[in-house]
Amino acid sequence: MEQYYGLFIYGLSLLTMGGIYAVLTLGLNVQWGFTGLFNAGIAGFLAVGAYVQAILTTPISRDHLGAYNVPIPLAMLAAMVVSAAVAWAIAKICIRLRSDYLAIATIGIAEILRLVFKNEIWATNGPRGVSQIPKAFETLPQPWNTLAFLAMVLGIVAVIYLALEKARAAPWGRVMTAIRENETAASAAGKNIEAFRLESFVIGSALMGLAGALLAQYLKQIDPQVSDPLTATFLVWVMLIAGGSANNRGAILGAMLLWVVWSGSEIVSQRFLSLLSSDWLGILTITEAGEWSIRFAYLRVFIIGLILQIILQKRPQGVLPEKRPKPHPRLRGDATAASQGD
Amino acid sequence: MKTLLSAAAVAALVTAPAMAGEIKVGSVAGVTGPIAELVAPIIGGRNLAAEHINAQGGLLGGDTLVMVLSDSQCDPKAGVDAGNKAVNVDQVVAIVGASCSGATNGMVQSVTIPAGVVNVSDSATAPSITDLADNDLVFRTAPSDAYQGAALAKLAHDAGFKKLAVTYSNDDYNAGIAKVFAESFAGMGGMITANQVHEPNKASYRSEIATLSGGDAEGLALFAYYGGSGITIIRNSLETGVFGKFMAADGMFDVSVIEQIGAENLQGNLMITQAASDPENNSYQLFAAEFTKTGMDPAAPYASHGYDATFLVALAIEKAGAADRSKIAAALREVANAPGEIIRPGEWEKAKKLIAAGTDINYEGASGPVDFDDKGDVAGFYSVNRVGSDGKYAMEYLR
Amino acid sequence: MMEFLNFYLVPGVVLGCIYALGAIGISLTFGILRFSNFAHGETMTLGVYFTLSLIHLTGLHPLAVMPISMALTAAAVLGMDRAFFKPFRNSPTIMLVIASFGLMLMIRSVIQFFWGVQLQALQTGIQRPWVLLESFRILPKHVLIIGATVVLMMAVHLLLTRTKIGKAMRATSDNPELAALTGIDTELVVKATWIMGASLAVAAGVFLALDTHVETMMGFKLLLPMFAAAILGGIGKPYGAVIGGLVIGIAEEISAYPWIGTEPLLPPGYKAGVAFAIMVAMLIWRPQGLLRGRQF
Repeated sequence: MEQYYGLFIYGLSLLTMGGIYAVLTLGLNVQWGFTGLFNAGIAGFLAVGAYVQAILTTPISRDHLGAYNVPIPLAMLAAMVVSAAVAWAIAKICIRLRSDYLAIATIGIAEILRLVFKNEIWATNGPRGVSQIPKAFETLPQPWNTLAFLAMVLGIVAVIYLALEKARAAPWGRVMTAIRENETAASAAGKNIEAFRLESFVIGSALMGLAGALLAQYLKQIDPQVSDPLTATFLVWVMLIAGGSANNRGAILGAMLLWVVWSGSEIVSQRFLSLLSSDWLGILTITEAGEWSIRFAYLRVFIIGLILQIILQKRPQGVLPEKRPKPHPRLRGDATAASQGD
Repeated sequence: MKTLLSAAAVAALVTAPAMAGEIKVGSVAGVTGPIAELVAPIIGGRNLAAEHINAQGGLLGGDTLVMVLSDSQCDPKAGVDAGNKAVNVDQVVAIVGASCSGATNGMVQSVTIPAGVVNVSDSATAPSITDLADNDLVFRTAPSDAYQGAALAKLAHDAGFKKLAVTYSNDDYNAGIAKVFAESFAGMGGMITANQVHEPNKASYRSEIATLSGGDAEGLALFAYYGGSGITIIRNSLETGVFGKFMAADGMFDVSVIEQIGAENLQGNLMITQAASDPENNSYQLFAAEFTKTGMDPAAPYASHGYDATFLVALAIEKAGAADRSKIAAALREVANAPGEIIRPGEWEKAKKLIAAGTDINYEGASGPVDFDDKGDVAGFYSVNRVGSDGKYAMEYLR
Repeated sequence: MMEFLNFYLVPGVVLGCIYALGAIGISLTFGILRFSNFAHGETMTLGVYFTLSLIHLTGLHPLAVMPISMALTAAAVLGMDRAFFKPFRNSPTIMLVIASFGLMLMIRSVIQFFWGVQLQALQTGIQRPWVLLESFRILPKHVLIIGATVVLMMAVHLLLTRTKIGKAMRATSDNPELAALTGIDTELVVKATWIMGASLAVAAGVFLALDTHVETMMGFKLLLPMFAAAILGGIGKPYGAVIGGLVIGIAEEISAYPWIGTEPLLPPGYKAGVAFAIMVAMLIWRPQGLLRGRQF
């Protein structure tokens, strides 16, 4: 029985992390999926949100800026606002860069932000990070606190999803798609491209800041490692592309799916090893299994890379390809072809 | 159909209940990630303890101790996830780990403390872990940084150093020790001529060394991981001829320092403190002899702490008489602290008999006496290691 | 003055040489295959580990076995191109970038799986510097690195200007559509690009390993500065990449020089940010790079 209760709790944690990643992928979907902005500095905005949340809410602050005791919801709002402000400043100078150039500029900026969080010890406690961050609903008994936090995360994902779906079908969303597909034409139609791109960048980054605020609460501890480009930028990209770029449902699905693979693959590989070393197979001794388990941890990353390659080659448009809102019958044939476009 | 079958196989693999006759302990470590090379020997230490236990009668009525490895990537995100898997999916009795202080902090606060699972950390040294409201569930065999920085400062002072330059790698572990060292050394009347942070993993530190060179320092106190920046800084210092004498903490304690720099360049010029137990009581030697057989370096940072943490968890399970999460914490203190008959690394059979007979035991570990205080921390006992004429580290226990 | 040369400028030049060699590959893939190859750092690491194993096998000097490890790495990279990049030749850039990212993870874990994560070295011990003009000190291995880089650069120059394939590479990089129209075999050019990029990356990695040590993350740690160098020099411009690499390497080192007063100009904790700052500034004010490279 305990076994199943445990799996249930683990399932909740998968959904919570998947949900936080879904907020990130939805944010990225606004930037890349809708508008075609190649933001490779997701980790930076995530970290800004996480640090704002941590600094505003953490009661003890011997080693860092803080002790403001701001209520959690207010701090989450502040995380979004600060993230949006940082994004606005960056967008002001970078937004006219195209595609790969914007990607590399945003990577550079995210790395500089990471150095700031690492070096400005008076504010962030440097590499040691901020600990004991308050988490919403944590005073409830187990498992209700986990459930309540999960409900909050999923609620936020749902609200964002509905809002984005609405925006996508609205004229605003159509302009974004137009910019992505053909900037010159959109410009010729009298749209101020740079203003729209900036808007999209800021909205997406605000969502990433929100994800950071959720992550800080969920982990209760953040340090500069939170903006590790591997798990905070590239993984998010993989999730979006695998799930289906420009499709909000695809973004959510990709986040959930990839997080389950990322986290669950380790259980499978460890179980596989313990099966090999069990009395009934007896292929490996316990010690050998111990050595192999370290090697499997390296190999797991290989398998994740391989799965990614397979998804890319077999389903280049993701699990859920883009669906245009109410396409004109004449355009229906072009919709799939167009979504492959750069 | 194929997908369905494989999905079913995976599901069966995941939900399979623990094999009969097995007791699982979580082994969470930063296997991949920025300090992968440091973590491998620590896991080796844990696995060696499990091997000893299983070879000498196993746990309780002959159950096998299984260490379930989970990767914390040295990142709170992965640490929380790894802890979740260990606690909920594998239903471990207790956890050893999660390597870095940040990952450990995240894991214990959001997973193990709420779930009531004991965590024994073997390498997280951040003072912030001491202050957690942990319901007495978080223990460490690795001493908090505060002790080691002071021990090294005293050593430097006693060795006659008056002026030292300090540099430390910008990570959670080294920044802490460097701070304590600088304060202690200044407190003893020494002078810190320069105190500078550096970013690890750069190809060259010659410009940093030039900046540190002002003020006629007699030596360099270097706080870094040997792989991140430590070896590069020693090499750059010697090659440029700026610093010839170095003192360091246990993040630098590895044979590769000697292998890469050359023993002849370090004899009489390097001292490294390391958490250790009194060689007169033999615990470290017992561990070292066994660990060397596995082909790994017993002196590797925190390998002995990994051994001790695992051995102690096993002793606590034995003492509690059942693989019961709720009883481990109390039992852990009893087996680790005096009074009681001394148990050393590898002496599982003896310990098992004594526990069965109801005798109190007191584990004296490879890394030190490992007596937990009421915060679950251990006091730091250190050795100083210098490069001897045989080209190996010569250890001297600090009293 | 001598302190500036010994501690800041020479190390900067050495670092710059390493960046430059790595950046050529990035710049060419960017120019010819039109994507930023995140696996380039791992290519470098792979080459270093090949070299390490060859040294263990033969006991020769790293530079003596380097050509073999270059060939091995180039072969491996061609195989990877066939399996993971070729299917996306006509796809949007993002697919290639993500594929290269996946490949980066795969190569790194293969290295960790087979060689382990322990720190290793191509050469152990330390070198004493040669002293010239009384106080100018330079390490023999630095002379070697700088010299070998110059030789390699000259080889690259001759290859690009004197051979048919080199001219085709430059033409493709400048204008792929036009190059294809004039009958250049694009696939051949792509192969040549991979071979050249991989070989130079191996050289960069081996030089870095000679100056420091061997570990599994060494290439990844260099990836972003190499990107910065490629951008600074101008995408698709091998000569630009060389200049970019040198500028970034030197700038990183001399940013810590006490230009004003006695304190380092930039706190060393921010040293790693110099490359990024230069890169971002370049992208904003002169996105075509120092040598007018391609703009997307």
